[in-house]
Amino acid sequence: CSNKFLEVAPKGTFLESNYYQNQEQAFNGLIAVYDVLGWQSNGFVTKVGVLDAASDDHYAGGGGSSDIMAFQVMTNWTVTPATGPQEDLWKKGFAGIFRANTLLAKLPGVPMDDNLKKRYAAECKLLRAFYFFDLVRFFKNIPMPLTPIATDNMYNVLQVPPADVYKQIETDLKDVIAEVNLPDQVDRRSEAGRVTKGTAHALLGKVYLYEQKWAEAAAEFKEVNGETPGQLNAKYGYNLVPDFATLWKSDATAKFNSESILEVAFNSVSGGVWSAVGSTDGNLLNIQTGPRNYKRIAADAPDYVSGWSFLVITPELFNAIHYDPRYNATVLNMDSLVKNNIATYDPKAGYMNTGYFLNKFAGRVSNQSKGGGATELNYPQNLYEIRLADTYLMEAEARVKAGEASGAGSRAYALLGAVRARVGLGPVLATLDNIFNERRLELAGEGHRFFDLVRTGKAAAVLGVSRGFVAGKNEILPIPLLELENTKLEQSKEWGGTK
Amino acid sequence: CLHISAKGLSQQITLSEKNAPLKKVLKEVARQAGISVVYDETLLSTFAPVNIDVKNVTVKEAMDVCLKNQPLAYVMEGKRITLVNVMPERVADSSITVTGRVVNETNEPVPGATIRIQNSSLGTAADGNGKFTIKVPNSKSVLIVSFIGYDSKTVAISGNTLNVQLKPSQTALTETVVVGYGIQKKSVVTGAISSVRAADIESQPVTRLEQVLQGRTSGLTVAASSGQPGSASSVRVRGITSFNNNNPLWVVDGVVVDNGGIGYLNQYDIESVEVLKDAASQAIYGARAAAGVILVTTKKGKAGKMTVSYNGYYGTSAPAHKLKLLDATQYATLRNEAVTNDGGTPVYADPKSFGKGTDWQAQIFNNHATRQNHEISISGGSEKSTFYTSFGFLKQEGIVASAISKYERANFRLNTTHKITPWLTWGENIGYAYDKSTGIGNTNNEYGGPLSSAINLDPITPAIETDPALAAGAPYKDNAVRRDAMGRPYGISPVVGQEITNPLAYISTRLGNYNWSHNIVGNTYLEMEPVKGLKVRSTLGAKISFWGDETYTPISYLNSSTISPRTSFARGQHQGYNWNLENTVSYTKSFGLHNLTLLAGQGAYMENRTKDVTVTFYDIPADNFGDASLNFKSAQANRISDGNEGIDHRVSSLFGRINYNYGEKYLAEGILRRDGSTRFGPNHKYGVFPSYSLGWVASKEGFWPENKVVDFLKFRGGYGTVGSDDIGDLAYLATIGSGRNYTFGNGDGEKYLIGYSPNAPSNPDLKWESTSQTNIGFEATVLRNITVAFDWYNKKTNDILQKPRIPYYVGAIDNPAANVGSMKNSGIELELNYHNKLGEVEFSAGGNVSYIKNKVTFLGNGVKTLADKQERFQGMPEIVRTEVGQAFNSFYGYQSLGIFQTQQDIDNYVDSKGNKIQPKAKPGDFRWADLDGDGVITDKDRTFIGNPMPSWTYGVTISAAYKGFDIVVFGQGVSGNKIFQGLRRLDITNANWQTKALDRWTGPGTSNDNPRLTDLDKNKNYTNPSSFYLEDGSYFRIKTLQIGYSLPGTVTKRIGLQKIRVYVMSENLLTITKYTGYDPEIGGTNALSIDRGIYPQARSFMGGLNVTF
Repeated sequence: CSNKFLEVAPKGTFLESNYYQNQEQAFNGLIAVYDVLGWQSNGFVTKVGVLDAASDDHYAGGGGSSDIMAFQVMTNWTVTPATGPQEDLWKKGFAGIFRANTLLAKLPGVPMDDNLKKRYAAECKLLRAFYFFDLVRFFKNIPMPLTPIATDNMYNVLQVPPADVYKQIETDLKDVIAEVNLPDQVDRRSEAGRVTKGTAHALLGKVYLYEQKWAEAAAEFKEVNGETPGQLNAKYGYNLVPDFATLWKSDATAKFNSESILEVAFNSVSGGVWSAVGSTDGNLLNIQTGPRNYKRIAADAPDYVSGWSFLVITPELFNAIHYDPRYNATVLNMDSLVKNNIATYDPKAGYMNTGYFLNKFAGRVSNQSKGGGATELNYPQNLYEIRLADTYLMEAEARVKAGEASGAGSRAYALLGAVRARVGLGPVLATLDNIFNERRLELAGEGHRFFDLVRTGKAAAVLGVSRGFVAGKNEILPIPLLELENTKLEQSKEWGGTK
Repeated sequence: CLHISAKGLSQQITLSEKNAPLKKVLKEVARQAGISVVYDETLLSTFAPVNIDVKNVTVKEAMDVCLKNQPLAYVMEGKRITLVNVMPERVADSSITVTGRVVNETNEPVPGATIRIQNSSLGTAADGNGKFTIKVPNSKSVLIVSFIGYDSKTVAISGNTLNVQLKPSQTALTETVVVGYGIQKKSVVTGAISSVRAADIESQPVTRLEQVLQGRTSGLTVAASSGQPGSASSVRVRGITSFNNNNPLWVVDGVVVDNGGIGYLNQYDIESVEVLKDAASQAIYGARAAAGVILVTTKKGKAGKMTVSYNGYYGTSAPAHKLKLLDATQYATLRNEAVTNDGGTPVYADPKSFGKGTDWQAQIFNNHATRQNHEISISGGSEKSTFYTSFGFLKQEGIVASAISKYERANFRLNTTHKITPWLTWGENIGYAYDKSTGIGNTNNEYGGPLSSAINLDPITPAIETDPALAAGAPYKDNAVRRDAMGRPYGISPVVGQEITNPLAYISTRLGNYNWSHNIVGNTYLEMEPVKGLKVRSTLGAKISFWGDETYTPISYLNSSTISPRTSFARGQHQGYNWNLENTVSYTKSFGLHNLTLLAGQGAYMENRTKDVTVTFYDIPADNFGDASLNFKSAQANRISDGNEGIDHRVSSLFGRINYNYGEKYLAEGILRRDGSTRFGPNHKYGVFPSYSLGWVASKEGFWPENKVVDFLKFRGGYGTVGSDDIGDLAYLATIGSGRNYTFGNGDGEKYLIGYSPNAPSNPDLKWESTSQTNIGFEATVLRNITVAFDWYNKKTNDILQKPRIPYYVGAIDNPAANVGSMKNSGIELELNYHNKLGEVEFSAGGNVSYIKNKVTFLGNGVKTLADKQERFQGMPEIVRTEVGQAFNSFYGYQSLGIFQTQQDIDNYVDSKGNKIQPKAKPGDFRWADLDGDGVITDKDRTFIGNPMPSWTYGVTISAAYKGFDIVVFGQGVSGNKIFQGLRRLDITNANWQTKALDRWTGPGTSNDNPRLTDLDKNKNYTNPSSFYLEDGSYFRIKTLQIGYSLPGTVTKRIGLQKIRVYVMSENLLTITKYTGYDPEIGGTNALSIDRGIYPQARSFMGGLNVTF
C-alpha cells in the first residue's frame, strides 16, 4: 500500500495547528474561557456547593453520609488530601487559566479587528484573574502559568508565593481597566454575561479587600457602587433591584439585572444527561437543594420540585434570619408547609435534615427544562459571583477598616443602609459586626460566608466545636494528592507539607 | 513426491472410476479422506490403470481396491499414506526372510498393515489374515510396523518369525492446527497454540462463541460480564497485557472482527477455534496481536454425499442462587438498632408486625425462563464445488426480569469453494446474523436496575399496594405511579429512594425497548497454484453491520427522586463498515528430509468507518412502547438529535514467514511483520515485529529408546514481539474540542454559544506499544494414551499506550497520549488429555490448568500509581489501584484488625507516643491498622488487600461412551482472586441488608468481623474500602453435563438416517464457592471481580436432538 492509505483526514475535528484563523474562531475560544465560570463536576461538585457546605449556614445534607463526599467532608471537616473537593476546584481554576492563556497566546496571530482583539484579551485577563483569585484563596500555594505550559516544561512548574499571585491579579485587572475597548456596559439582550469594566473594578476591589488594602478596595468599590448608594450608577448601569425575591428567578427580567456584576449563566437547552453530568449547562444547585419527596397539597402550594435535600439550612442561620425580611426568599421552611397542610416532603430521606431548605435555589416546576436531556440537570437559574449588594457591603467594610466613620452621614453607613432599605429595614450603624451580619443575611447560600469567616479569622470560633474545623489547617484546601506526584509541587504546610 | 494435504479423518469413501490412472484415484481417495498420500510420481506412472466402484467404504478398503494386483504396499501413519514399492529387489546374501503376523490389541489380525525396513524404502503389507513375509538385509535390521489408526511400532528382528501387536493410536500428533495464514501439522508447530474442536463446541449451550473457550484451553481467562442472554464476556489471553484494550484479536476465516463483533456466530457452524498465545504464533498478526489472537474457522463442505444435520435443544433456566436478605421483621429490628446506636429513637414500634414482608428477589427472578437453539446445516458438493450452508435460530429469556431480558438471533451461513481449474480455486465464507436483545438496563451497577433494587429495597414496602386506602394516599395520589394490570399501584418505598425503585414499576417503564443488529461478515478468495507447491492467494474480507435501539420512556413516578415527567421516544441507528485485503504467496518444497515453507504477504485493513444518528422526540402522545412513533411530530424544540462519525483506522502490513524442518525432527520458524497505522504520526508510523521459534522432536531421534513411557516428545521455544496501536484515532495530534459552551444574553436575545479549546498537547512521537514474550514448552505422548502439553512464558509489555495524567495545572481537558508504562506477565500452563477404550467403554478425560502472575513494573518517572482505569464504589475512594510492583488494578483499602470489643480496647489502641489512634471510635467499630504509624488513620493507611484477577484457572472434561450412550461432564474454575461484594447502597442508610448483618457486633464478644450497625458511620466501618468487603473468589463449576443416546446404526439406517442422537443437558448445574453473592464469575473492563449486583449465570436444563440425514 502507498503511504497515502495511511493518511487520514481528521474529518469533523479541528487541529490546534490550524485553528484560531479568524475572528469567529477566536470568539469560540473566548466562549471556552467563560465556560469555566459554570464549571460543575460529574460528581455534582460545584464551587458554591462546596463553600455552602463548609459554612455554618448549611449542612451538606443529601441522601446519606457519603452522598457527594466532597460536600460531606466540608461539613464535618474530615477533608483529607485524598478525599475532598480540592481536585475539582483545582481543575476548574486551571482549566480556565489554560483557556485564557491559550487565547491570549493565539490572539496576536488572528487576522481580525484589532479593537475587538483587545476586548477579547481584556476579557481573558479578567477571567484569568478571577480564576487565580479563587485558586489562591482555596489553595494559597499555586503555580501561576501565564502562557500555555509547554509539554517539555510540564513537570518543572513551581508554586509561587501567594503575594505574587495577588500581584499578578492586580496587574491583570489594572490592564483590563486601562483597556478602552472593554465596554462599561453590554447589551443585556444579546451580550449580558460578558464582563465589563465594572466587573473589573468590582473584582479588583474584592482582591484588594482580601489583601486588606482597604483604601484601594474602597476606591474600586466606589467606582462600582456609584456616588450615591441606593441610586443608579449610570456609568455601569448598576442599581439594586427593588424586590429582593426577584433576584432568584430565571426569567428575562431577573437574569442579568441591574444588580448583577459577575453572573454565571446557565440554561435549560444544553440537553444535559446523566452520563455526562459535568457537561450540562443547567444549574445543578436547583435539583440539589430541593426537599426530598416534595408534594403539593394545597392548590396554592409553591411549585417546588422534589429534590435531593442538599445544603439544608442550619438552625443557626434559621434563627438569625427568621425575622428578617429576606427570610422567605432565603429559607424554604418545609416543616411549616407541612404543619399548615400546604405541602409534604420526606424528612427521613434527607440526611442531616433540618426542615429548612435553601429557597434561593430550590428547583421549581415552572423552571423545569422543556428541552431535551434529564429534567433534573437542566435548570436555567443563574448564579451571582458578585452582585451590587455585595460590593456595597464590601465597600462599607473597607471604609470602616480604613478607619472611616461608621455613623449616620458616613458613606459606610449609607452603603449598609441602602442594602437594608431595599428590603425595608431601617439603617444601623456601620460597625463591622453589623456589616458582617448583613453580609450573612443578604448573601446567605451564595457561597460567601466561608471565605468571610476565614478572612476575618472567625472560622475556628464559629466552625471549630460544632463542625470540627481545625485552625491553621482548614483555612485552605490541600493540594490534590495526584498533583504532587512527579511534579515539583509541594503540599502546603497546613496539610503536613513543606510549602 | 507429491504431498496432498487435507483435513478430516474417519471419512467414508465413495468412488467410481474406470480405467483411471492410479494417481488420479489415489488423489481422490486422499481428498475425500482428508489425508495425505505420499508417493513417487515416476514410480506411480508405471502402474496399471484402476477400476474401482465403492460406496461408503473405509479408507483401507478403498486403498485395497486401488492397489489390488499392483506390486505396491502402503503405509498408513496417522493421516499420511506412503506408497511403498514391493517389487523384489536384489538383496545381499546376508538377507533373512522374516514371516510374521500383525494383530491388534484384541489379537485380531490387522490386514493391510505396513511392514517397512527402517532406513530403506523396502516394505510389504500384511494380508487378510494379518500375515506377512519380508526379506530383510540382515539380522540387525529393524522393522517398522504401522497401520492407520494405530501407533506404529519399531521391532528388532529376533529370528525368522515375528508377531507384532499394534495399539490404537490416540495421539493428537496427527492433528493439524490452524495458524495465521495457513494450517500446520500439530507435531511440527513451534508456538503455543490451544485448540478447541467442533465436538467440544457443539456440546455446550452457549449464546456467544467466547463462552465455549472458558475452561477449554489453558492460558485463557473468560468471565461473563452479565448473565443477560447474549452479553459478551471478558476474554483475556495470558492475562492483562496493557492498560487499554485487553480484548484479543478475533479472526474469523481470515477476517478481523472486533471483540464485540463475534456475537453473529452460531456455535454449530464452528469447525475449530485456535488460541494463539505466544509471540511466535501471534507475530504474523503483528500490530494487533498483543492481547492475543483467536482464530475461528467455520465449517466447510466436503465432496460426496450431501449431509443434512439438525442440532437443537430446548429447555428452561432458573437462578442457581439467591441472596440471603433480611425479611421485614429482621429488617425493622436492625433498622431500629442502627438508629438507636446513633442515639436516635426506634423507627419501627413493632418489627414483628411486618412479618416476612416482600421478597423482592422472588418478584424479579424467573424460574422457568425458556431457551432454545436450533440449527439446520446442509453440506456437500462435488469434485468441483463444495458448500456448507446453515440456518440457525436462538431464543433465550433471561432469569431476571424476563419481560425486559431477552435475546433472539437468527443466523445464516454460506461457505463454498469452487475449483475453476485444477490450479485455481475460488471460495467464499459469508455469515449473516440478525439479533434482537432486550436488556434490564443496569446490571452490575449499584445505581439502580432491577437487581440492585431487589437487593436494596426494604422488605416492608409491598410489591403491589393492595390496600385501596393506602393506594389512594400519598405518594400514589396525583403522581404518575406505575400500576399493575388491575390498576393497583406498585409499592413505593417511603424509606429507600434514589435510583432504587420498585423493580416491577421499573420493568413496566421499559417494556418493549430493544436493541437490534444486522451483521454480515464474510470473505471471498482466489487461490492459485500455478506451480506445484507455490500458492498465491488473494482474500477480500468485510464486515458490514447495522445496529440500533428503540427506547420509549413513559411519564412515570418511581419514587420521589426518580421521576420522568415527560414521554420520550428515542431511536439510534448506527452503521459500521470494515474491510481488509490480504495477498499472500506461499511456497512449500521438500528435498530429502528438508521441508521448507515460505510465506510472504501484504495486508491492508480499514476499520471504524461508523456513522451514527440518534434522535429523541419528547412529549409524544403515546403511553406505551407499542404506540410510540416518530410520526408524532412534537414541537421542533423537543426533538433532540445527535450524530457521530468514526475516523478510519487503517493498517497497512507486510509480512513474511519461513518454516523449516528437517525430517519433522528439527523445527524452526521465523516471522517478520511490518505494520503501518494511521494512529501514529510520521515519526513512528511503522512498527516492525519479529519473532522466531525452534522445536526439537526428541522422540524422532535415532537414539530415542523404544519405550512404553514416552512415545512422542517435542520441545519448543520461541521469542518474539507483537504490538498494539490501540490508543484511539488522532491521539498524536493536538485537536480542538467543542462543547465548552456558554450562554450570553437574556430573554429572546439569549444565545447558547459553542466554545472551542485545545483538548490536549500533541505527541508527535507517539509510537507502537510492544509486547515481547518468551515461551518454552514441550508436548509429549506418554503411556500411549496420555498427551501432555506444558508451557512457561514471560511476557513484557513496554511503551504502553495510554493517556497518562499530566498535571491538572496544565489545564488541558484531556491528557495527551504517550508511551508510558511497562507490565510483566509470567505463568505456566499445562494441558493433559487421556483417552482409552476399556472393553466397550470409550473413555477420555482432559484438563488444563494455568497460573498467571501480573506485575506492573513502570508507570512513568516518579509516578507511583495510575490515575485512570480505576474502579470506585459509591462514595469510597478508589477500590482498586495500579501501582508499580503490584498486579494491575489490585484491591486497595484499609486493613481491619478486628473490632473494638470494649472502650478499654479503644483506649489501649495507642501509637508509639501513647496517643489513642481512634479516640472517637465506639465499641463495635473496626480497629483500623495504622500502617504508616503516624498515630491517626488517614488515606496513607491503605494498602493492597487482594487481586481481582484469578491466578489459577482450570478446566476438566470427562467423557465416556458405551454402546449408544455417551456422557460428557465439563467443569471449570478459578482461584486466587478476591471479589468485592459491593451489593448494599451505603448512601441509603435504610437499604436492606444481607443476612450477614445478623452476625453484627452487638456487645463484647459477639463479633470480630461484622461491626455494629450505624447510619452515621463515623468510624467509616462501612464507608472505608477494606477487607470487610472482600471475599474469596475461588469457584469450581460444573459448566455442562450432557447425557446422550444415539440410536444403533441398524435402526437409523432403516429409517433412512445417518445418525440420530437425543440428549439431556444441564448448564451450570453446580457451583462450588464460598462467595456469598449471586455469582463468583464477574467480568469487567478495568478490573474483574467487582460485584455491584451482577446478573447471575442461569442454571439450565435442556433436552436436545442431533439428526444427520
